[in-house]
Amino acid sequence: MENNNNKLLSVEDLSTHFFTEAGVAKAVQQVSFSIEKGKTFALVGESGCGKSVTALSIMRLVPYPPGKIVNGKIMFRGRALLDLDEKQMRRIRGNRIAMIFQEPMTSLNPVFTVGNQIVEAIKLHQKKSTSDAWKDAVEMLRKVGIADPQQRVREYPHQMSGGMRQRVMIAMAVSCRPTLLIADEPTTALDVTTQAQILDLLDQFQEQIGMSILLITHDLGVVAERADKVAVMYASRIAEVSDSEKLFEEPLHPYTKGLLKSLPQLGFTGSRLQTVSGNVPNPLDFPTGCKFHPRCPIGFDDKRCQAREPQLREVQKGRLVACWYAQGYETQKEYKEYESKYGEHKRTSA
Amino acid sequence: MTKEQLKKVPKGRSLWKDGMRRLVKRRLAMICFGIIILYFLLAGFIYIAEAFNLKVGPVNWAEEVGTQYEPPSSKTIFGTDIFGQSVLRKTLYGAKISLTVALSASFISILIGVPLGAIAGYYRGVVDEIIVWIYSTLSSIPYILLIMAFAIVLRDKTLFGYKITGISTVYLSIGLTSWVGLCRLIRGEVIKHKEREYVLAARSYGCTNKRIIFRHLIPNVVHLVIIDFSLRFVAFIHAEVILSFLGLGEGTRPSWGAMINDARIELSRGVWWQMAAATVAIFFISLTLNIFGDALRDCLDPKLRVE
Amino acid sequence: MANTNGHLLKVDNLKTYFPIRKGLLRRTVGHVKAVDDISFAIRKGQSLGLVGESGCGKTTAARSIIRLVPVTSGNVVFDGIDVLSAEKEQLYAVRRDISIIFQDPFGSLNPRMTIGNIIGEPIKIHKKTKGQELTEQVAELLTKVGLSPDHINRYPHEFSGGQRQRIGVARALALRPKLVICDEPVSALDVSIQSQILNLLKELQEEFSLTYLFIAHDLAVVEFFCDIVAVMYLGKIVEQANSQQLYRNPLHPYTKALMSAIPQIDTTLRGKRTAFGGEVPSAINPPSGCPFHPRCPLAQSKCSRQMPTLEQVSGSDGHLIACWFCEKKIFSD
Repeated sequence: MENNNNKLLSVEDLSTHFFTEAGVAKAVQQVSFSIEKGKTFALVGESGCGKSVTALSIMRLVPYPPGKIVNGKIMFRGRALLDLDEKQMRRIRGNRIAMIFQEPMTSLNPVFTVGNQIVEAIKLHQKKSTSDAWKDAVEMLRKVGIADPQQRVREYPHQMSGGMRQRVMIAMAVSCRPTLLIADEPTTALDVTTQAQILDLLDQFQEQIGMSILLITHDLGVVAERADKVAVMYASRIAEVSDSEKLFEEPLHPYTKGLLKSLPQLGFTGSRLQTVSGNVPNPLDFPTGCKFHPRCPIGFDDKRCQAREPQLREVQKGRLVACWYAQGYETQKEYKEYESKYGEHKRTSA
Repeated sequence: MTKEQLKKVPKGRSLWKDGMRRLVKRRLAMICFGIIILYFLLAGFIYIAEAFNLKVGPVNWAEEVGTQYEPPSSKTIFGTDIFGQSVLRKTLYGAKISLTVALSASFISILIGVPLGAIAGYYRGVVDEIIVWIYSTLSSIPYILLIMAFAIVLRDKTLFGYKITGISTVYLSIGLTSWVGLCRLIRGEVIKHKEREYVLAARSYGCTNKRIIFRHLIPNVVHLVIIDFSLRFVAFIHAEVILSFLGLGEGTRPSWGAMINDARIELSRGVWWQMAAATVAIFFISLTLNIFGDALRDCLDPKLRVE
Repeated sequence: MANTNGHLLKVDNLKTYFPIRKGLLRRTVGHVKAVDDISFAIRKGQSLGLVGESGCGKTTAARSIIRLVPVTSGNVVFDGIDVLSAEKEQLYAVRRDISIIFQDPFGSLNPRMTIGNIIGEPIKIHKKTKGQELTEQVAELLTKVGLSPDHINRYPHEFSGGQRQRIGVARALALRPKLVICDEPVSALDVSIQSQILNLLKELQEEFSLTYLFIAHDLAVVEFFCDIVAVMYLGKIVEQANSQQLYRNPLHPYTKALMSAIPQIDTTLRGKRTAFGGEVPSAINPPSGCPFHPRCPLAQSKCSRQMPTLEQVSGSDGHLIACWFCEKKIFSD
């Protein structure tokens, strides 16, 4: 695929489970993807699919108990993140890898001024005097587009609007010029007009600093406009990985297909929307075989889909899909194997 | 859907059932619960025995029956008191007093605190301000002074035709002064829940205020009453001790507080076993109630459920 | 009986201001002008959409109509009844004929009641039905919204978000209302479930001849669902038109900017982004005159002095706009 030198982050076979009183929730299973330098990679999926937990796993912020990374390898600039001790990890967090969250009200500490919080982030990772750090903080606020930064830097989070608080979060995250920014639903809680501004801001920083962005979202529109590459997650696994453009032109996984068809789009003239039947499964009680099969027009009555979990395979250049029936997927060997186990199978129409 | 069909429909898993299930899995909490039940059984047994006139204790505890101040030995496990009465017997008997006081006082607190809290929280405005003023004033007075004042005033008065004596004084005074914490708690929760969408929905299809309070709000705060009850119980047991210590408690029959009160003088004579016995008894019921109360809170509070 | 001109719901000059009280004596120092003089009307069987960003007042407007919040002034006439000055009896009747579906599938159902009780309570209160008959009606409602009647004794937390929203829909239908207010019914749901619920609402509209007041911030959803759309900004309606018209031919600068800010999947629909600075101002101190003027590319001095009135664009069929200077040309096709 890509030149290895270009890979900033590489996640291999990551599995994170939650051990609760009600059972084991396998939030992330065998997730693998890689992010190139300077590019935006989107992790898309609905609630419970594991995208946020994946991000937390990369940052090693998964609460333990009850969560635990049970398997996998995460390579960041040549270092294996899962092998580092907590002290080394702390030097990376906020410094080389930064994260911004969905709810700026709860991610900012309400009893400290925003200036204090940015200064704290700066001083943790850079050897600067307090006065220099404050100067940097004011400069950061200006860079994120907050008018009157000298005044604003002394304000508290509750005195600011949602969009402004998110800008402050971005200022904190970007203050140490990280190589990777993880943005977990950064605009979901914001209005559409503010959303566009915030995403523009992230693009701007990406260009200036050359940082990569791992964008986690459920909004396919945002993905279409801002991401270079996309991984679609469903029920703890990756269903499809592809270049952003190609994904929307020609989705390969039935889940992606169903999702795109069911979105109301401006200009739609029908009287009914297409739907994806059924519900998102509960992580404590995943279906056997392919997690999507109960809702899949192909897989709901297919023995193979019900019994065996398909792995991610490359079906076109740069496109991976985890589906038994994505085009060009079956190999002769597999087909013969299946036949011997389950007998002849009929392919239902999509 | 016919009645027969309805009977076959499986019952859902209420939040209570969920909470109980999780509670039962906690071994330490269950052991504590067992110990608490033992205490209650003991108290219950004494009540029944007295009702049937079985001789569990001497009629007059102040009667000299044996050697004074015998230290603990193989004969008397906890020794004897000034009258030669078995300290062990007194300790066991004291459970009845303490538990009766704590239970009755809890009852009174709940009876006053919950409705006042719910009304204050729901109606807000003037009603709220009055109730808040009442309990703020009440809670500003030092607790002990307040209880003492009530105890002294209530002694030998009659309430609804019943004469207030001894034990009733104790639990009435504790109950009438201790409802503030619960009231505040309930008021806060009701204010929070009042703005929830399910209450808005109920108003939108024409629910009366009374129905909203009783059918919607109170069921959502009952778990707090239970958690508060288990934790406050300990405080009430201690309050009884304090009252007895101050000489305002139950006079004729032994209670842990009275035993500790006696110990004031006894300790100077080297007689430590009465105090030890009472302290041990109080310690274990307090510890187990605290542990169990914490476990209850973890299991019953919907917010703390790990999804 | 008020003359409503064939409209099931007619709202005129509705204002809902929330007082801000400060100080020891709780004096009123100002008002949050959540809804600032809006008027609209819905005919029987229609769906009217109220669209806008957070803080524009759409939710408050919906709640004002059924008096869930105290209204400051204005007129609301529903089915001939003057709602705002109705007495207890009449208000009771209104509460039976208008129902509301809420946004949050987790907060809108009482966690301590079975869904059978949740759905059945409105019926119990108004029709005094109980026992077997009530159970049958509830079971029927459950089937109508796509849930199994076997679940009648289950509790809300045993269901997924989409299923809970269906329960909310069943409850809203329990009394066979004439008007259903949908307050962001799909905003909190997963994308793959949204279309299911929207389709369900449409089917129910046909089956029960329902009229909808649909509130949302997602323009695409509103375009699909509604016949008429009104765009709100800071408590006022700035543009109103039938759905097709609005999306093909938006006139108000705010509507245009709103549409261009939506991230589009279809590259052919991505227009040039209208530069859109600043943020929505607070409703406590709204800008003078037209509330949008500080951010408007077409703003002139008149805009800061005088609030434009909502007027019909000449040559259009019900396309209303409140703007002094935008181009009012209708494309007919």
